[in-house]
Amino acid sequence: MTTLKPATAGLLPAVVTRAGNAAGPVAVTEVAAAELDVVTAELAQHPGARLADLFATGADPVILRVVWALDRDQLYLVTETEVEGPRYPALSDIAPAAFAEECEIYEQFGIRPAGGKPLNRVAMPPQPDIKLPTLGHAPAEPPRDVHAPHLVGGQAFEFPFGPVRQVGVESLYYGLVTSGEELVDLYLFTWHKHRGVEWRAQGQTPRQALFHIERVEGLGAIGNSCAFAAAAEAALGLEPAPEALLTRAIALELERLYNHAAAIAALCQACGLAVGRAAAEIALEQLLRLNAAVLGHRYLFGVVEIGGARTAPDLGRLRAGLPAAYGELRRAGDALLSTNSLLDRLEATGTVTLEEARRLGLVGPVARASGIAADARADHPSGAYAALAPVVATQTAGDALARMRVMLAEAAESVRLIETLAADATGMPVGTAAKNGGPRSGLGWSESSRGESLAWVELDAAGRISRARLRPAAVRNWRGFDDACRSQNVFTDIPIIEASFWLTVAGTAR
Amino acid sequence: MSEPMGRGGAWTEERGTSDEGRHHLEAAQAASGKHGTSDEGRHRLEAPQRRAGDAAAAAELRRRIASQFGRSLHVRTLDTGSCAACEQEIRLLAAPHYDLHRLGFFFTPAPRHADLLLVTGPMLRAFAAAAGKTYDAMPAPKIVVATGACALGGVYQPDAFCYGSAGEVLPVDVWIPGCPPSPLALLHGLLVAVDRLAERVAGLSFTVGGTS
Ligand code: SF4
Repeated sequence: MTTLKPATAGLLPAVVTRAGNAAGPVAVTEVAAAELDVVTAELAQHPGARLADLFATGADPVILRVVWALDRDQLYLVTETEVEGPRYPALSDIAPAAFAEECEIYEQFGIRPAGGKPLNRVAMPPQPDIKLPTLGHAPAEPPRDVHAPHLVGGQAFEFPFGPVRQVGVESLYYGLVTSGEELVDLYLFTWHKHRGVEWRAQGQTPRQALFHIERVEGLGAIGNSCAFAAAAEAALGLEPAPEALLTRAIALELERLYNHAAAIAALCQACGLAVGRAAAEIALEQLLRLNAAVLGHRYLFGVVEIGGARTAPDLGRLRAGLPAAYGELRRAGDALLSTNSLLDRLEATGTVTLEEARRLGLVGPVARASGIAADARADHPSGAYAALAPVVATQTAGDALARMRVMLAEAAESVRLIETLAADATGMPVGTAAKNGGPRSGLGWSESSRGESLAWVELDAAGRISRARLRPAAVRNWRGFDDACRSQNVFTDIPIIEASFWLTVAGTAR
Repeated sequence: MSEPMGRGGAWTEERGTSDEGRHHLEAAQAASGKHGTSDEGRHRLEAPQRRAGDAAAAAELRRRIASQFGRSLHVRTLDTGSCAACEQEIRLLAAPHYDLHRLGFFFTPAPRHADLLLVTGPMLRAFAAAAGKTYDAMPAPKIVVATGACALGGVYQPDAFCYGSAGEVLPVDVWIPGCPPSPLALLHGLLVAVDRLAERVAGLSFTVGGTS
């Protein structure tokens, strides 16, 4: 991580040039509060720049950090701003992707963007008797509850649905605004699943915190714990052994494979395609059993460790089991792609345009299906990916079908990557790296099956966490979900769109 | 308890072609003193088991479900703050490798139809009211199965965010450990739950002699 001089307007060329001169994949720079909006506007204009995360630390003053992914420059740029007083420049006016984080920061730190725009409820439950601890000062006023007026222009009404829904799905509360069949608007509420994981991590060592980080989103355990471990390692100045990085990459690709199989099973279920669902579930179950055989857990819990990996893959079982398990998925995928009734149902359902995906800073297969070739494995290669050059699959239609095509292409690529990685691995367990004395803060990332997962870790003098920030891909992509649902869709499209996004509520309500 | 879902066509076909099945049906009807719709379910539950592997266990389970409920056991799920992995394992119960329908278990999206509640997650305080309402909406006799380490109290401590385990809010009858419990562990837990529920049904006055 490179720390640059405090930045002012006109900052970008200098930063990118320095990064180009091997300043490393992460650069941190201070920005004065008075200049934050100018610098933000400048960065937002930069080609290939995404506002990837926005979060705060501490109280009096609050430090506001914006993480920019400069995908074309292979650089993450973190700007740090001291905010005195209750207000800071409204970044969502410049980069709309920041709005959800502005709401979150208001709830957790009590500071708000200038301009007085209403801030929505994110993690704070509305029940007055439930008082949750915050990360800084509590907000002066409670956040706003989003509601459509009961009758919208005399045409539409709000139909609340959830949080308890169908069998075997997570709790999620929808506010559907409908005129009968067509979806006029849609709100999501997830505060009932907020478990305060960032709050829990405070005062723990990174190693202790990993237990809950893995369980933030069980279907993204590897993606999130790789990002978190990388952040902690950057803060501690640890360099994991190459063998451990191979193990992590193998686990990450196995996670992608089973998630894509699960998404396709869910898509078939949503479309009422029992045979397709069964075929995809056979593949899914085989992939989960392969995970257990190779790395000891169906959902790959307990693989990542700070400074290394806790287990080594059983390469023999990986080579023996992968072709058959993936073969099931490929057969199912091929059959589904020639099933017209399914294709008709998915086509033009839940469309996210390229422009929308950019505006909201979407990531992962959802963004790639809309034509954005962003993939942290290729744009910000780290660990074992530096030598891999993964092929990034994209589509342009942005609908549920495009997302399914992207997932199937990515599954094939994951198998290729696993084979390459396994050829380099020895399967021997390696110890974790031990060297203390890093910069005490660091950024980590990984390309999870749902897209870029980011983490920021700050440690105190005793090596305990003073601030842990985890931004799973689900946090980003749920904000594209409402837009996808709104565009020309009806009620029965929602389960299909939800399956094609394949997000978790747990990942966003961490 | 409601009609089993799905497979109506298969049943019609069976009854139409098999005399033996019909006799069986009549015998069952005579034995149970029940009428009409429930016998259809019973008939299907006692249809020949087509898979060989776990036939004995399956037959025993079906016999128990059939003898206590006349037809089937309906399962509802409730996520009180899980990480989504428990939900994935529950969904896989319906997948071809496990296929819980063949055992007479069915998923239902309606609490009114549910006999059994599978609860996942550490019971977040913000969710407790919704959990209570789901439980209250189920008809008695009902059974609560805490599913996964979270619901058992092994992942989160009781604190401002959560109660820490399902048992703090709901009367839990059966606990299934695992993080997440595999589908086989879930099936095992459901089996245990069937026994508990059977005891409860036997204690109710509307059954004849307790074992109908
Ligand atoms: S028990 Fe484990 S797998 Fe299940 S919800 Fe809790 S953390 Fe996730």
